[in-house]
Amino acid sequence: MNDEGRLHPISIAIRDIADIFGRMGFGIASGPELEDDWHNFTALNVPEDHPARDMQDTFWLKPASSGFARPDSSDESGVGIRERKVLRTHATSVTMRKLEEMAQSGVPEMRMINPGKVFRNEATDMTHEAQFYQLDGFAVGPSGSVTLAHLKGTFDRFYREYFGPNTKVRFRPSFFGFTEPSVEIDVWFAPQGKEGKWLEVAGAGMLHPNVLRNAGLDPEKVQGFAFGGGLERLIMVKHGVPDVRLFHTGDIRFNYAFDEKIK
Amino acid sequence: MKVSLKWLQTYFDEPLPSADAIADAYTFHAFEIDESEAKTSPEGEVRPTEQEARFRGDLLDVKVLPNRAADCLSHRGLAKELSAILDIPLKNDPLRIPLENVDLRSPHLEVEIEDEKKCLRYMGAVVKGVKVGPSPDWLKGALEAVGQRSINNVVDATNYVMLDIGQPLHAFDAAKLMQKEGKYLIGVRNAKADEKITLLSGEEYALTSNIQLITDAHADMPIALAGVKGGKAAELTSDTTDIIVESANFDGTTTRRAAKALKLFTDASLRFQNRPSPELAAYGMRDVLKLITEIAGGEVASVVDVYPARPTVALVGVSHARVNGVLGASFTVADIEEVFRRLGLNASVEQDMFTITPPFERTDLVIPEDLVEEIGRIIGYDKLVPTELPPIEGTPDQARFRGTERMKDQLVEQGFIEVSTQSFAKKGDVTLANPLDKGMPALRTSLESNLKTALEAAKHVAPLVLAPGQKPKLFEVGTVFPKSGEFMELRMTETVPAWGDNFPTFDNLTVAKLEDYGKDYTPVCYELGAYQPFSLYPFIARDIALWTPSGTKSAAVMGMIRENASELLVRLDQFDTFEKEGRVSYAYRLVFQSRAHTLTDDEINSVMDKISSALRAAGYDVR
Repeated sequence: MNDEGRLHPISIAIRDIADIFGRMGFGIASGPELEDDWHNFTALNVPEDHPARDMQDTFWLKPASSGFARPDSSDESGVGIRERKVLRTHATSVTMRKLEEMAQSGVPEMRMINPGKVFRNEATDMTHEAQFYQLDGFAVGPSGSVTLAHLKGTFDRFYREYFGPNTKVRFRPSFFGFTEPSVEIDVWFAPQGKEGKWLEVAGAGMLHPNVLRNAGLDPEKVQGFAFGGGLERLIMVKHGVPDVRLFHTGDIRFNYAFDEKIK
Repeated sequence: MKVSLKWLQTYFDEPLPSADAIADAYTFHAFEIDESEAKTSPEGEVRPTEQEARFRGDLLDVKVLPNRAADCLSHRGLAKELSAILDIPLKNDPLRIPLENVDLRSPHLEVEIEDEKKCLRYMGAVVKGVKVGPSPDWLKGALEAVGQRSINNVVDATNYVMLDIGQPLHAFDAAKLMQKEGKYLIGVRNAKADEKITLLSGEEYALTSNIQLITDAHADMPIALAGVKGGKAAELTSDTTDIIVESANFDGTTTRRAAKALKLFTDASLRFQNRPSPELAAYGMRDVLKLITEIAGGEVASVVDVYPARPTVALVGVSHARVNGVLGASFTVADIEEVFRRLGLNASVEQDMFTITPPFERTDLVIPEDLVEEIGRIIGYDKLVPTELPPIEGTPDQARFRGTERMKDQLVEQGFIEVSTQSFAKKGDVTLANPLDKGMPALRTSLESNLKTALEAAKHVAPLVLAPGQKPKLFEVGTVFPKSGEFMELRMTETVPAWGDNFPTFDNLTVAKLEDYGKDYTPVCYELGAYQPFSLYPFIARDIALWTPSGTKSAAVMGMIRENASELLVRLDQFDTFEKEGRVSYAYRLVFQSRAHTLTDDEINSVMDKISSALRAAGYDVR
């Protein structure tokens, strides 16, 4: 008899998420992890001087390995903004690439989720990893057709289907360069046998007109929402995983730390 | 921004609601509250004194968002927000009290700005005859309530006005500056290479040419790091009588870079890096001169204002249809007008169009969507009705993803376990300028080495998680970064029987034609239970074989083994059975592991003895 192997919990989660979002009309997109400055920052309306670009948050490439310079020396290097490379700090860069495709192909609407690995140059602890997965995504359509209320409806349904029927969703004001208005999305979740509480799970908002314009779209004619949040965090919340560092160690004991059955 | 509720209350006639209600008002309509601040005393003390408890009850740490840091890193800005959210009128708004005309002829002071892009405005005032001394109790109390230390009346006045309306201020001892023909000359210029400055803290800093300085230009002596911190050279002392007060606006980028380069983030640099309006400088000057002369005496001898380019404030408009079209709401014109009224934005409405003139401090209000956000958050996002997206034309494109997942499902079926490993590597073709771990400065060029390491580890732990005889086989799907360019690699630790021996142990999924392969495939979905932590201590595996009378169920034997094993038994598998001469032989593998310590053989021997005895007592023949 051939014993079966096991998927990694991230694959299992992405399948569930792809299924739920698929039923709401979302496809799945991907893009490079080594991203240029344009798609990771500039096009997303994160200005040149934004603290998010600081060396302490972003992994930049060594000039020798790529011919690209870090931001601090950009003035002298003469390397164009579009070409400088970073390890993407969010999968919103994929959204930017898909919006550009939209502008080129002229399709009037698009919905995508972009699950993928992202990188932050941060000290690691139980809730922070330098590399983790993000569930990023967007929905864009003709003006007035994709609204902030649709974002709420989308997440309301996503969380109810992913976490269970008793979850609730709420928005709080926030700020991101690439969205206006911007919100934090909280979910109310009560793990089995535990008290429920509000958890911050994603950042989101309506795509900023500058972002649409940078993609070659007309913000007078199209609008939409974008969102992004940690994927491991969803799994940690749903299944009670205490430490984000357990995910990417290559340790098979992690795969087997959950009872598993086919749905 | 640390906010004192008592200080906030000074902006209102009406008593404010409880701290919790205020925190909720900010959280759901403006800014998050940093909870940790409210719960622990500054020293992290577990049992706070009564006084500390009061201090904590009065303090709120508001996480002002970057787009509002220009006006809300101040009690005035946060009071204004609260006024709009709760619809309680402000008693007075210092930024709406018109400035009195000040005689700007300055017989005592001149200012030279080298680069007008780096210093947008510089106001200086000479105050003569002040008496530097302790602050009045109310001022000491106000500063201490937000965790600041009282220094002296003049310095406290500058800090108070900054925390009150957001304008950073500084005071120099005029006697330490050179006068020529009865005039002081303040310079604002870039530092020279190798120039140094000693700051108020006594620490000396070596400067670079992109750091902006305030100097006594007559003596060409640095007296402050512009927008960051004051220098020792013109420090106030108890003997000081004449002071020069600075209320300026330094460029955000220049200030942030200086603070970053010197690792000197101050209350002033934090504010300047968020680009408050240079208009604010005049209000800061007015308020601080009033306070200084009130509590330290003296007379304002002259005020100078160098303001090369006053920013223009542009009108911002948004249509009623756009507001509801972006939010997905059905707010009425009256609802929207009400929001603008509460925010003090004085909107004019013409037909379908709202037009506002942003007050100078609201540098964040530039495009229609900025107004949409104001309307959404002040009315409250809880008022948005969750709405499902309408159906979209065509089938969502998940074919490529499903193609990959189909390959994974086949691998799982063939006994492969999926792992996820780190993208960083010791060596590679792409190197990071700033790796987190200096030993792993590169990006992996292949999954091979990580998989090899993972397989070694998997072999060690296999008895814990795999059936006896199941060989650990691994695969990973992950991005790799060879010189030729990144791609999504699939790699296995051995060939896949079902794919034939000729199929290599790796594949480039970026170029693989996965769409057709995936378009009609539905990936297997699994239900996962709660995470059960695994022990990191070594385990011990033991086998036991026994003869049982014909008809004995394996489950019964396993039940007996479990009953007699301690909680150290973490896995029990039957790995063999056969029947001979009317008897059935069973063989089991037992895996023991502790959550608290490394097991010894003796410990497990006694557990095994207990199990064997129990099995024998039941009439089984343990071999």
